[in-house]
Amino acid sequence: MIKGHRFTRATNAAICASIAVLFAACGSTPTAPVAVEPTAAAIAPTAAPAPEGTKTVLRVGTGDSGEGLTPHLAIIEQFEKDNPDIQVQLEPVGSGDYYARILTQIAGGNPPDILQIGDDAVPQFVQKGAFAELEPFITSATYPLDSNIYLPGVFEPGKWQGKQYLLPKDFSPLAIYYNKKLFDQYDVPYPNDGWTWDDFLATTQALTKDTTGDGKPDVWGVQLPGPWTSGFEYWVAAAGGRLVSEDGTQFEGFMNSPETTKAVQFYADLYNTYKVAPLPADMNAFGGGNSEFDSGTAAMRIFGRWPQSGIKENPNIDLGVVGPPVGAKRANVLFWGGFGISALSPHKEEAWRFLRYYVGEQGAQVWKDWALPTVKSVADTSGQSNDPIEGVWIGELNYLAPRAYVSTPSWGATADPALRKVLEQAILDPETDIAAALQTAATDAQKALEDQE
Amino acid sequence: MTRIPQVPRSPAGQVGRAASLAALVAVAALFLIPLLWMLSSSLKPNYQIFAVPPQLLPRPPRWENYREALTFLPFGRYALNTLLISAIVIVGHLLSCTVVAYAFARLRAPGRDTLFLVVLATMMLPYPVTMVPLYVLFRTLGWVNTILPLAVPAFFGSPFYIFLLRQFFLGVPPELEDAARIDGAGTARIIWHVILPLSLPALATVAIFTFQATWNDFLPPLIYLQNPQSYTITLGLQFFRSSYTTNWAYLMAASLVTMLPVIAVFIAAQRLFIEGISLTGLKG
Amino acid sequence: MRSRRETLTFYLCISPWLVGLLLFVLGPMTASLGISFTRWDLLSPARFVGLRNYQRLAEDPLFWQALRVTAFYTLLYVPTELVGGLGLALLMNQRVPGIALFRTIFYLPSVLSGVAFVVVWTWIFHPEAGLLNAGLALLGITGPRWLADPRTALYALWIMSIWGLGRAAVIYLAGLKNLPRQLHEAATIDGANAWQAFRHVTIPLLTPTIFFNLLLSVIATFQVFTSAFIATNGGPLDSTLFFVLYLYRQAFERFSMGYAAALAWVLFIVILALTLLVVRSADRWVYYEGARI
Repeated sequence: MIKGHRFTRATNAAICASIAVLFAACGSTPTAPVAVEPTAAAIAPTAAPAPEGTKTVLRVGTGDSGEGLTPHLAIIEQFEKDNPDIQVQLEPVGSGDYYARILTQIAGGNPPDILQIGDDAVPQFVQKGAFAELEPFITSATYPLDSNIYLPGVFEPGKWQGKQYLLPKDFSPLAIYYNKKLFDQYDVPYPNDGWTWDDFLATTQALTKDTTGDGKPDVWGVQLPGPWTSGFEYWVAAAGGRLVSEDGTQFEGFMNSPETTKAVQFYADLYNTYKVAPLPADMNAFGGGNSEFDSGTAAMRIFGRWPQSGIKENPNIDLGVVGPPVGAKRANVLFWGGFGISALSPHKEEAWRFLRYYVGEQGAQVWKDWALPTVKSVADTSGQSNDPIEGVWIGELNYLAPRAYVSTPSWGATADPALRKVLEQAILDPETDIAAALQTAATDAQKALEDQE
Repeated sequence: MTRIPQVPRSPAGQVGRAASLAALVAVAALFLIPLLWMLSSSLKPNYQIFAVPPQLLPRPPRWENYREALTFLPFGRYALNTLLISAIVIVGHLLSCTVVAYAFARLRAPGRDTLFLVVLATMMLPYPVTMVPLYVLFRTLGWVNTILPLAVPAFFGSPFYIFLLRQFFLGVPPELEDAARIDGAGTARIIWHVILPLSLPALATVAIFTFQATWNDFLPPLIYLQNPQSYTITLGLQFFRSSYTTNWAYLMAASLVTMLPVIAVFIAAQRLFIEGISLTGLKG
Repeated sequence: MRSRRETLTFYLCISPWLVGLLLFVLGPMTASLGISFTRWDLLSPARFVGLRNYQRLAEDPLFWQALRVTAFYTLLYVPTELVGGLGLALLMNQRVPGIALFRTIFYLPSVLSGVAFVVVWTWIFHPEAGLLNAGLALLGITGPRWLADPRTALYALWIMSIWGLGRAAVIYLAGLKNLPRQLHEAATIDGANAWQAFRHVTIPLLTPTIFFNLLLSVIATFQVFTSAFIATNGGPLDSTLFFVLYLYRQAFERFSMGYAAALAWVLFIVILALTLLVVRSADRWVYYEGARI
């Protein structure tokens, strides 16, 4: 028993210590100087005190996180001011696991009223009835929405089989970031809009330098996003090909077409033959673990607009942005996130009022300070359409190629892994017979598609 | 801290001690390098983290990464939420696993060994496939968007800790119980007056392992906690990663701070912790 | 008479677990078994398809790949934990000044959240910007491309796992602390050298601990998820396609919850079979002072 007392004291001590440390660690939150006020508000809980039964609480699910939540919260605050009968609860989940959460919630009959998803998930979610059709709301007398207010190409990804289910939240095409410092240092002219694959290759070669004389480049022409399939579609489209038939039923004849082969060959050659791109540090996700552009040792990078604000603050970089080069044709691909109303929502009317506000002009007025607005008039009046950097992103919307993954709900389960494998093979092994690998991929994808039925 | 024992003062003994100290230092250095690398990275601007060749020290250190990371989200609130859940789960595990483990260790009954295999078997099915049925179950009970699904199951035992405690109870000399039994004590009294006082260290072990596991738990809070006001620390850490960008420095800064409570518990309870497990005996 | 009462007491005592089993465990487990006979995308109602998911397994090359990767990793990791964890525990058991600090250092990585643990290692393995290859370069060795090379990625994850051995070591340490010192001393007096004493006294006495760790590490290793999910996403070329990663993908990225459930049940059977094998074999190599496991 005496022994027991000793242990009790020790246990108490342990618990007290942990609490003390916890408060020491976290107590700084309220007492710290409020120098970072804007970000401090980023994820502050949104819920107001008790709604007292009169307010409708709308739940909004988003996969955005961190600083990306600030515009959401700003729009919500404005909306709640104008609509005192509605309270909006933003339910954010950072990256990766967002889909696991909303799929579980949908299966359990308890999803948020408004859900954000990417354009790649639209066919699957809509076809399985997860979203309410918006047409009746859009054309309603009391709260209509003018679908002509949007920039080109950003309204359409919310459609499935001709009907609108989601509305645009944000978007990004691809573009080439370039570091003027390196271009100046090596006296290479900046790229111009409308440049070609040949120009691109010549530029990368002019900028790949072995500065230490060890036989290995220390400065690279371009940082490529590894086996990132949804970004790779640009190269296929620019080569004049496509990855799937228009009706979404045939991979054979598309994934293995001469154009696709040419695109993969060129992409792989940048790594292995011309050696103007650093090999991926890992094969994860979209970046391939590379960060040479951020470190100031790659002159260009092809990617979406997402990291732009960080790049602008980077002292290694004097930033320029130009559209991706033109191959057999000029092409780009869109990445898109949109909001829809859950088919299970008991508050569809209220959800529509919020959604309309969110994706309409009022919302765009807030968004423009954080990302590209979807509404054309806002982009014009804010000066973004003519900005030397933002104007490039907006201008690229005129060259969008159709997306393979919006033409079939089965893209992710069939062609995507097959294509990814080809890209990994081609990057890892310079000896890869690309035409043969694509043939295998097309056959596998086609078979997987049949299995889906 | 530790008792420095009366090691024989022979030259061989001293050489041995020097050698083991050297080995300790070498291995500890290997274990510390990744942590120091984390610490260094947490003080860098993001664009410096992947510099080639690797830049060992941040120049200059950005201490504001810590302040910014911790104000970026309501860290204190998330910490308190997590602490509350952890405390409840600890109590639940202590109450339930003790009684269950005692039965498996000491009482003879038909079906016992089979049931014990069932205890083990419940650890073998991956969580992602039971996650959705569980969610449906808790939704039916009206528990979603509360901490109940995270807290209540703890009161019904957890296989890992049942196993651990059972091993301990097997190591407690049965004579003590027999004496109590002869005095007319029932099972409840034996557990309370004989087993529990002897197993306080083991219970502390369960508490600390549970604290660490609950503190770092991810998927269950992800699906059951809807309102951001009730989020836990691990859900908060996710906010530094978005689909196409990650704020590495903030993620590392916040992760290091998140470790502190668990480290503090480990340090404070180290002796207890290690003796606690040692008393579990693991003698089968 | 007594045994009937004891039986009753036994079931009374385990009733919290039994009730929990019935309420929170058996239901979802049975449900997942049921789901494995359906096609279910989680968005629309499930459709019964009989044994199709199980038939599909046989001809799914990625299923076999995932099984191979996971089994190979288990073969790699489990002995590492047995030997490395014990080695670390022996170090932690040294009687030198400051041992408390050393113990804490060895245990620190186990406290780190999963994401941060893995992320820091992806940095260390970075072929150009990483510490590991920079260190190798100092020795004149050109390091491999670790996570980006299908030949090394799985080994990289294995190296990473060594950093987390502190947890197993703490359990071993407990086992070591519990050994009766007299036996070891007696052996030494009898003229055994340190290795012989360790081999013939310490190890046999430690077999129950080894058994415990072996069982739990087999169960856990077959369910490795976070490291592959974050560091490699199963690549390159599926060289780190861990079973539960593949299963998670099927469930939440490919909208095939039914197939994921079938995968889970196959895994369940595999782990159960191995567990039974270990439990059966225990009679031969585990030295028990008291009751049988």
